[in-house]
Amino acid sequence: MRARTLLPVMAAVALLALVPVLAPPFYANLLVPFFGYGIALLGFNLLFGYAGLLSFGHAMFLGLGAYGAAVIAGVLGIKHFEVVLAGVALGALLVALPIGLLCVRYTGIFFGMLTLAFGMLAHSILFKFYHLTGGDSGMRVPRMRILGLEFADYNKIELLAGPFYYYCLALLLLAGLLMWRIVHSPFGLHLRAQRDNAQKAGYLGVTVGRFRLTAFVISAVYGAVGGAILGFRVGLADPELVHWTHSGHLVFMTVLGGFGSFLGPIAGALTLTLLQDQLQSLTQYWRFVLGAILAAMVIFFPRGLAGMAGDLAGRLRPAKREAPA
Amino acid sequence: MSAFANLLVGGIFHAAVLFLVAAGLQLVFGVQKIVNLACGSFYALGAYFGITLANLALGAGLPAWTLLPVLIVAGLAMGLVGPPIERLLRTVYDRDESFQLLLTFALVLMFQDVLRFIWGPNPQSLGNVLLVYGKVAAGDLSVPVYNLLVIAAAIAAAALIGLFLRRTNYGRLLRATAENRTMAEALGVDVRSIYAVVFTLGTLLGTIGGALVVPTAAASLDMAIDFVIEAFAVVVIGGLGSMSGALVGALLVGLISALSLVLYPEFEILAIYLIVIGVLLLKPSGLFGKPAT
Amino acid sequence: MTSLIETRGVSKHFGPFCALENVSIAIGSGEIVAVVGPNGAGKTTLVNVLTGLLTPTSGQVFFKGHDIAGVGPVALAKRGMARTFQLVQIFPGLTVAETIAVAVVSQQGRQWRLLSQLSGNADVDARVREVAAIFGLERRLQTAASMLSQGEKKLLDVASAFALAPEMILLDEPTSGVSTAEKHGLMKTLLDAAEAADVKAIILVEHDMDLVATYAQRIVALSEGKVLADLPPGPFFADPTIIETVVGKRRSR
Repeated sequence: MRARTLLPVMAAVALLALVPVLAPPFYANLLVPFFGYGIALLGFNLLFGYAGLLSFGHAMFLGLGAYGAAVIAGVLGIKHFEVVLAGVALGALLVALPIGLLCVRYTGIFFGMLTLAFGMLAHSILFKFYHLTGGDSGMRVPRMRILGLEFADYNKIELLAGPFYYYCLALLLLAGLLMWRIVHSPFGLHLRAQRDNAQKAGYLGVTVGRFRLTAFVISAVYGAVGGAILGFRVGLADPELVHWTHSGHLVFMTVLGGFGSFLGPIAGALTLTLLQDQLQSLTQYWRFVLGAILAAMVIFFPRGLAGMAGDLAGRLRPAKREAPA
Repeated sequence: MSAFANLLVGGIFHAAVLFLVAAGLQLVFGVQKIVNLACGSFYALGAYFGITLANLALGAGLPAWTLLPVLIVAGLAMGLVGPPIERLLRTVYDRDESFQLLLTFALVLMFQDVLRFIWGPNPQSLGNVLLVYGKVAAGDLSVPVYNLLVIAAAIAAAALIGLFLRRTNYGRLLRATAENRTMAEALGVDVRSIYAVVFTLGTLLGTIGGALVVPTAAASLDMAIDFVIEAFAVVVIGGLGSMSGALVGALLVGLISALSLVLYPEFEILAIYLIVIGVLLLKPSGLFGKPAT
Repeated sequence: MTSLIETRGVSKHFGPFCALENVSIAIGSGEIVAVVGPNGAGKTTLVNVLTGLLTPTSGQVFFKGHDIAGVGPVALAKRGMARTFQLVQIFPGLTVAETIAVAVVSQQGRQWRLLSQLSGNADVDARVREVAAIFGLERRLQTAASMLSQGEKKLLDVASAFALAPEMILLDEPTSGVSTAEKHGLMKTLLDAAEAADVKAIILVEHDMDLVATYAQRIVALSEGKVLADLPPGPFFADPTIIETVVGKRRSR
């Protein structure tokens, strides 16, 4: 990673690490879902930004994570977060393989619609099989041990704003590191090649279908991990997590942050988490404001916040230019 | 037997309304290649305004039988949102289709709050005004005439649209632009104005569809979002861009909806979506569509 | 001489339309063969059959002894055949180095390495530089492919194909869109590169007869789906009927 991006990132991480220390627990609690979304979006952007596939059903994997947490910790009683994480990751892999196999044959609108269809299928399954899934009311995600520790003398808020906060921060960093390596690997290169020109990529030996499927599965696993974090934090797995509008929000965050860059979606997740919270306290018409922001981003700033930051940085550094050959 | 027949008519009514909105979607996709996620919002807009106008009209003393025309006028009036929105969408015509989807999604979000702002969060309904048209009874079968009128209107609309596209010069222009925009431009076709007209037509079909449905169903904020799902199912099953597809798709979805409401209420949307997935996998271009890339 | 690629009695029908009829040609190691013919003669169909995109209606097509009917581009690349297209194909989001690296990664079998880092990988880097140098692109390695001039894009397109270390390469109208003054320069670069890259055979689809006469060792002319002639340039250009069919009526050269 180049120094000029590494420094702000480390500063941001340091700042995040200080939030529970410097600010009231409310803020740390607010940021925990950001960690969940951040991880989910790292995966989503592998699919969208790097593989070029826009999924409108990605929220189903977040739901899988949350409901998985409810099942493993609640129904099965295994109240260990690490087990939950492993379980939902495996679950996501098993579910994403067949769905991905069917969907990655298509691109563009058809891929979007197929994924939307599968997402809503999941939503209606969760709703209708209410004997199993609690329907409308969802399923409870009980409090569980992290790293084997109970933290018995912390109440839920203190747990979320303290140990769990740092746990999730660490998870985000790990997930980010892993994704960084994936994106900068030969696999990542081939993925980007097929995104740019699938036909030419084929002629250069890129097995387009298999790569798309792999990206799909990886993004599903990341989504599930994010969903588990969300489930733990809220204490509930809720069918609305899986509704297509929630998938839309994931896309929103990605576009807001900038899907052409690695850190963009994470910036988008942070921005939207804070923005939505602020907006909701200011007006009941926050959806309108968000919609207007999304529209503005799409029309004027398609490269998102990351793009804007890049442009700004470029303007502050006019000397560094590629000398024409 | 009569229960089944009532069901059938209910399903066809549902299909009629679905067809109107889906036809709008198909028109817009066929000519402009835009997938309009906000079609449900137009539908809801028509529904809410239909109720408002109907209440106004009846409150002002207009006779009850003017309900249908009033609703149609309401739908037409709301079609006015078409041109400004088309203007907005123009900014992303030449970009990747993901951007178009995103922009229409942004519109969905904005519309949700606009509807909430104007009409409040609670569902609204017209009560039983539609009964002014009476019911048709045949043995045990009892169908409100209103429903039959709407079905007739949808059939008329289908026929008109078909005639328009196939027999008129403007219709041919539309089909030419749909086939090959660049070529049409090269031949001197004013594609900009065609896009504006097509989008407005599509919007109108959506708003009118919504307005027509309110005597039988409540207008609610959810309807915008839920309807998109059904409209998409219709369009996918029938094939993107195809009018006959919209007709067949709407019938299929309408009837399945009606059937499952009685047989397996939980499975209604499930059944629809399983069929969507099935169609997308076996014949991705839909029953009547052209092959997908 | 065992042929590198050959077709045996290949015919291809699209419904009632016959695009190719009983085409049998064989190309061996060390040959540079041009495929010519008027539009509609079946050149594209033949090329698609030769590169495993189309399955012949009847007849067979072999590459290095293996049946390659309809195997598709990826399998083709694995077997050692590369192909370029008339319209320049690039990856708009990648740099020159990355574009070439795509092929190198395939050729070195590294594509499933999810965790190894690409930048700084000595093997890949060295090979990318090597290929870039052959095509004179070594100073443009970090440039985005979309920023190149049209000519450079063409070079990159071909360079990435060469980076597959193919034994055979099929160039589909490589000089189309290039100015007459630059055509020869480009052809020379391509042929020199092929030699430097150890490519064993080249198939060239061309309309420009001047280039064909200069660089091809053998010319296969198609007309209405059939092989009209399969000759070296000398006898080929000496036959007026062939010239007339292929190039249309024109004054003698």
